[in-house]
Amino acid sequence: MKAKSKNLLICASITAFIIAVGVFIYTLKTSKALSYLSSDPKVCINCHVMNPSYATWQKSSHARVASCVDCHLPRDNHFKKYLSKAKDGWNHSIAFTFNTYGQSIKISDDGAKRVQANCVSCHSKLTETLRENRQKYLGSKHSDFSPERKCWDCHQEVPHGKVRSLTATPNNLGVR
Amino acid sequence: MNKYRFLLVGSLVAIIAMLALTNSINQRLAEKKIINTNPVVKEKGVESKNEEWAKYYPRQYSSWKKTRENDKIEDLLKKNPQLAVLWAGYGFSKDYNAPRGHANALQSNQNTLRTGAPIDKNTGPMPMACWTCKSPDVPRLFDEIGELEYYTGKWAKRGSEIVNPLGCADCHDSKTSELKLTRPYLKRALQDIGVKLENITHQEMRSLVCAQCHSEYYFKKTAWVDKDGTKKIAKVVTFPWAKGLRAEDMLKYYDDMNFKDWTHKISKAPMLKAQHPGYEIFQTGIHAKRGVSCADCHMPYKQEGAVKFSDHFVRSPMENMANSCMNCHRQEETELRSIVKRKYERKEELMQIVMDNLAKAHLEAGKAWELGATEADMKEILQDIRHSQWKWDYAIASHGSFFHAPEETLRLLAVANETAQNARLKLVRVLAKYGAMNYIAPDFSTKEKAQALAGVPLKKLIEAKKKFKATLLKEWTKQAVEKGLLNMESRKGMSDNASYNTD
Repeated sequence: MKAKSKNLLICASITAFIIAVGVFIYTLKTSKALSYLSSDPKVCINCHVMNPSYATWQKSSHARVASCVDCHLPRDNHFKKYLSKAKDGWNHSIAFTFNTYGQSIKISDDGAKRVQANCVSCHSKLTETLRENRQKYLGSKHSDFSPERKCWDCHQEVPHGKVRSLTATPNNLGVR
Repeated sequence: MNKYRFLLVGSLVAIIAMLALTNSINQRLAEKKIINTNPVVKEKGVESKNEEWAKYYPRQYSSWKKTRENDKIEDLLKKNPQLAVLWAGYGFSKDYNAPRGHANALQSNQNTLRTGAPIDKNTGPMPMACWTCKSPDVPRLFDEIGELEYYTGKWAKRGSEIVNPLGCADCHDSKTSELKLTRPYLKRALQDIGVKLENITHQEMRSLVCAQCHSEYYFKKTAWVDKDGTKKIAKVVTFPWAKGLRAEDMLKYYDDMNFKDWTHKISKAPMLKAQHPGYEIFQTGIHAKRGVSCADCHMPYKQEGAVKFSDHFVRSPMENMANSCMNCHRQEETELRSIVKRKYERKEELMQIVMDNLAKAHLEAGKAWELGATEADMKEILQDIRHSQWKWDYAIASHGSFFHAPEETLRLLAVANETAQNARLKLVRVLAKYGAMNYIAPDFSTKEKAQALAGVPLKKLIEAKKKFKATLLKEWTKQAVEKGLLNMESRKGMSDNASYNTD
């Protein structure tokens, strides 16, 4: 390469890098990215698209016993927890930027698996007999029931209610 | 050099991706701000035209408008003719119908024979205060001319200014849309019972906005001087809460100030009228004790498609049990319905007994006066009648009391009956003293007979009222439209029912 264009390239790339770092800090600030390190439910409603889930949870049976991360993130393993957080964060950012979600947000398969595992994790004594029998008679490897039936296939109201969409809680979102 | 090329390209890609993300975040933050700001219905003052609120709250407006459907007239003087005797000498013996939907409240007030047939601003039997619970034009007038000026003068004085039916601005702030107490007399009454207005919770507001009107009141004569120095007399709506909310507390309040609503035409007793102490008696029932508010049952959440909002079609929850009762109660709807029916029947049973005894007491007292009884003879009897009728009226004047507070309702009816019977026992002696040993009170089993005993010239009243409706009332409507206070469109499709003619 010629010396002049080599210098230009070095200059431009370093400038671009510095700008990228600046934009990165700005992104961190705007997206409140650092807040996601905590487990406070209020963090999940940084984006008001989550307000119906927050409101329905707040009025549900699980309001005082389980926060968002208690159900939606793995509880058994710190590394798995933060990995899931990162995965979810990435997916949310894509969905947000490219507007790929509709009026009724559905949980991903991976997310559903995690929630199911957490149902069993808290209610292990309650589901003990169910799980033992399942292993005995169906020979299943998965003691947490997935991938077949989920707990909420019957316990439909827990905890976000049967009817939930972006307009189901208008006082929470501002829609009249 | 490759690594610098890579750095450049990588940085550019990262910048573009991050800018895309932050752009969508900022867009949504702006959107969040907009949709979380309550629409401003009116920046300053009170928006008394309900259709102006419809622009921002179409669902609440449509459900409120449905209260029009509750427009049938149920003539309670026909159903319970004793009432005409019990209220002889007072407006309620002329005309008394079961309550209708909120959107019909103003019309009921204009149509009832109780407001009479004024021919100009200064005639008619009722004062301005009568309008107070019928229209959002009332809080508008409070705001524009002040309370005392509003309460001064006859009912007919501002007939052309009070023209919109009970609606949005009665309970909601025109600027922020929040629940608001628009009737200052309730604030004063709350302070009387030691409530700190700043500490009222949202759930309490869901009952208090109703308590603005569904409470016992009287008109307190208040002398005042306006800014020009003119002496005026205002009849101010006041709640008799200072001594407590129970029937006996209010009775003490009234007795201590020697207050009477009217002197009974037949028995000459100094009488009290209990106007629908709905809020007060509800407080003694189990639902209030469990923190249930008026709106929880009477304005339950309704779902239209995916949107959930408070149903403003205020009516009996028995017509909407699925959304109203079954949210909390797990029994079968039919079982609950039969339980409520049984409560109603018990109330009716005791209520009929009390009304019969009271009516007879009035008539027997009238006979005693006729035969020459003295003040000394009659004093205690008349006090008994006054107290008994107050307790009976307090128990049933708010028509839902048999459900809101069944124990208190039945208790009051029982003690009212005891007092009425005592009065009649004393009357037996007085009548005997003056020679009437076997006096039986005349028959009051029909509206006609009862109103004849009460001296109500029904035909004359109806004729005068019809004339009023065809003349002065039409004038008021015309003037209101000219002043821009009323949209005739908003009245389209309304019926015009009264006890003396139905559409």
